[in-house]
Amino acid sequence: MNEKLRNYIDSLFADAPQTVRAVELKEEMFQNLMDKYNDLISQGKSEEAAYNIAVASIGDVDSLIAGLSEGRVELNQSSRKRNALFISIAVALYILSPVPVILLENTVGLMLLFVFVAMATGLLIYNGATREKYVKADDTMVEEFKEWKQNSRQKNKAVDAIIGSVWLIAVCVYIVVSFMTGAWHITWLIFLITAAVSSMIKGIFMLKQ
Amino acid sequence: MSVASELIRGNTETIILAQLMKHDGYGYMVNKAILNMTEGRFELKEATLYTAFRRLEDSGCIVSYWGDETTGARRKYYSITDLGRESYRLRKKDWKTAEAIIDKLLSEGEGESI
Repeated sequence: MNEKLRNYIDSLFADAPQTVRAVELKEEMFQNLMDKYNDLISQGKSEEAAYNIAVASIGDVDSLIAGLSEGRVELNQSSRKRNALFISIAVALYILSPVPVILLENTVGLMLLFVFVAMATGLLIYNGATREKYVKADDTMVEEFKEWKQNSRQKNKAVDAIIGSVWLIAVCVYIVVSFMTGAWHITWLIFLITAAVSSMIKGIFMLKQ
Repeated sequence: MSVASELIRGNTETIILAQLMKHDGYGYMVNKAILNMTEGRFELKEATLYTAFRRLEDSGCIVSYWGDETTGARRKYYSITDLGRESYRLRKKDWKTAEAIIDKLLSEGEGESI
């Protein structure tokens, strides 16, 4: 009889969306109906009669189940557009960055190159850090997984952005220091230090998680 | 469904809140209490019960949690919040007002005749 009730409720939920909410409601209904059924049996009702009374007491669940699929959220279009804009500006800055060097042919041009690169990198980091997090479209497990995946990927992105900027800064420092001091034989050590620093940043983020 | 049930249905949420004012409860427990209190004359349909639970939960009047029964399946319990208590008091007041008005309007003999 247990199975019969279970099957009956399964049939009621046949068209319901596969969401956490729907599964919970189904479980809740089944448990309450079982309680009712057992109660009726203990009052001396026959199995058949108890089953019929229990099923009859459910009533009209159509609107209840229809309510389960409400509340879907549209993915944010404007955030996607902003994302694309920021990335294209950053890429354009990267491409244009050698122009001042070619035109001016002096240290001012070189400085401008670094300013361009710094601006582009800053834009990318800002974009990555402020990007809207994934909003669940509904309560399904798939959506929950997507949200989780997106969040963990975003954390990695932040680390990647920081490490990327550290390397760029290192290149700047290397070139500037080398030109100024002329000590090319020793300045390459900056890259070793940078490697150590970036590993440390990765380590710190891992510990935090 | 009888006319009386239709009249009562409008107060489903208030009735549920009144049950939860006493103690936390799960679906069948609440419904059985209602059945016992009315000496078997009134009982909520499951669908009505869950719809009311959901509406109350969405509006913050109640919260739900899964019980930790060691035997058998787990039950979903509902607990009234402070907001729920306040809402219950307001709804009860509204009912008293409506009751008094309807009593007056339905009284025979007294008052002006048409």
